Amino acid sequence: MKCKVCKAEAVVGLPSHNTAFCAVCYDKFFMKQVSEGIRKKKLLEADDKVLVALSGGKDSLGLMYALSELGYNVTGLHIDLGISDSSRKARSVVEDFCKDKGYGLKVVELEKEGVPMPLIKKHINRPICSVCGKFKRHYFNKVALDDGYTALATGHNLDDEVARLFANTLRWDQAYLSDQGPVLPAENGFAKKVKPLYRVSEFESANFSFLKGIPYHHLPCPYSKGASFTGHKMIWRNQEIRSPGSKRAFYGGFLERGQPAFAAIHEGKKDYEVKPCTKCSCPTSVGVCGVCRLREQLADALLAANE
Amino acid sequence: MIIVRLEPEDKIDTYPKLNTVQQLLNKYDLFYTDALVIRDGQLLTQDRKLNDGDEITLRKVISVG
Repeated sequence: MKCKVCKAEAVVGLPSHNTAFCAVCYDKFFMKQVSEGIRKKKLLEADDKVLVALSGGKDSLGLMYALSELGYNVTGLHIDLGISDSSRKARSVVEDFCKDKGYGLKVVELEKEGVPMPLIKKHINRPICSVCGKFKRHYFNKVALDDGYTALATGHNLDDEVARLFANTLRWDQAYLSDQGPVLPAENGFAKKVKPLYRVSEFESANFSFLKGIPYHHLPCPYSKGASFTGHKMIWRNQEIRSPGSKRAFYGGFLERGQPAFAAIHEGKKDYEVKPCTKCSCPTSVGVCGVCRLREQLADALLAANE
Repeated sequence: MIIVRLEPEDKIDTYPKLNTVQQLLNKYDLFYTDALVIRDGQLLTQDRKLNDGDEITLRKVISVG
């Protein structure tokens, strides 16, 4: 297989784009996907101070590298979930990567915050992925605002966004469908959130990180087995094989025609007001935020266990 | 003999003969956008030939959290 641009031996074939690239031309293709995605949806300004959420996986580390190469002012944020072996490895990968590249890095340790995921999993009877996501989003937002960052970037890729859109569509969740997209503006105590990899697939992201020599963490989370999100990804994986380009068309069409329609429908239906949490001051629509309520549940459970 | 290291399973399989990357992917019911196929630090597209003695890493790309 030859590179469609320079005719050298290809290293990546992309059926969704009906093309193939050598390493040099693939780098240009990928960086253009990211920069064009940022430009078209106005994700970032040149002077944004960007906090990049780093899990240690291919997407977040590749995103950090790509944003830095594009000239953005980036700092990493890693949440150490406290899941013994898994979290140690992920953190080590992130720390080594940032040290090697000279990137700034902040680390939040959930163990020190009193909410390590193993403790939550043991004592709180809720889907662990949902609870973990809630804590991560909480600290992403808190660190971004407390430390003066103007944007929070996450490594969600096209496959992540398609799976999320599919889940939201299965429930016809108007609220989520009204604001799903690669950018959420800063408002009501929330930092601006951006997903600059929304145009690149998981495969494209993996190829980029590999070709850039980024030694990413590729072991799955030990708690994620059976997550519905993974099932949705597999449905779309099969659809993409049958009809290459389906994912791009589904998500691109939603951003162009679906999301604005849902936003218009939902606009008049907002019957809640976002205010600071009465305990931690983080934004919430229900008085005490979800993270503080989980902390209370955990404290009650630990008390009961010790009686 | 071709040695295949599967990631993230960290499992080793061996095959007496495989002609191409596509044949290797077929062994695991994988489409070529499901995994990186790596030989000597280089990525291989699905049409590339495999040789006796090759050591291949098959790294699945789907992330699950």
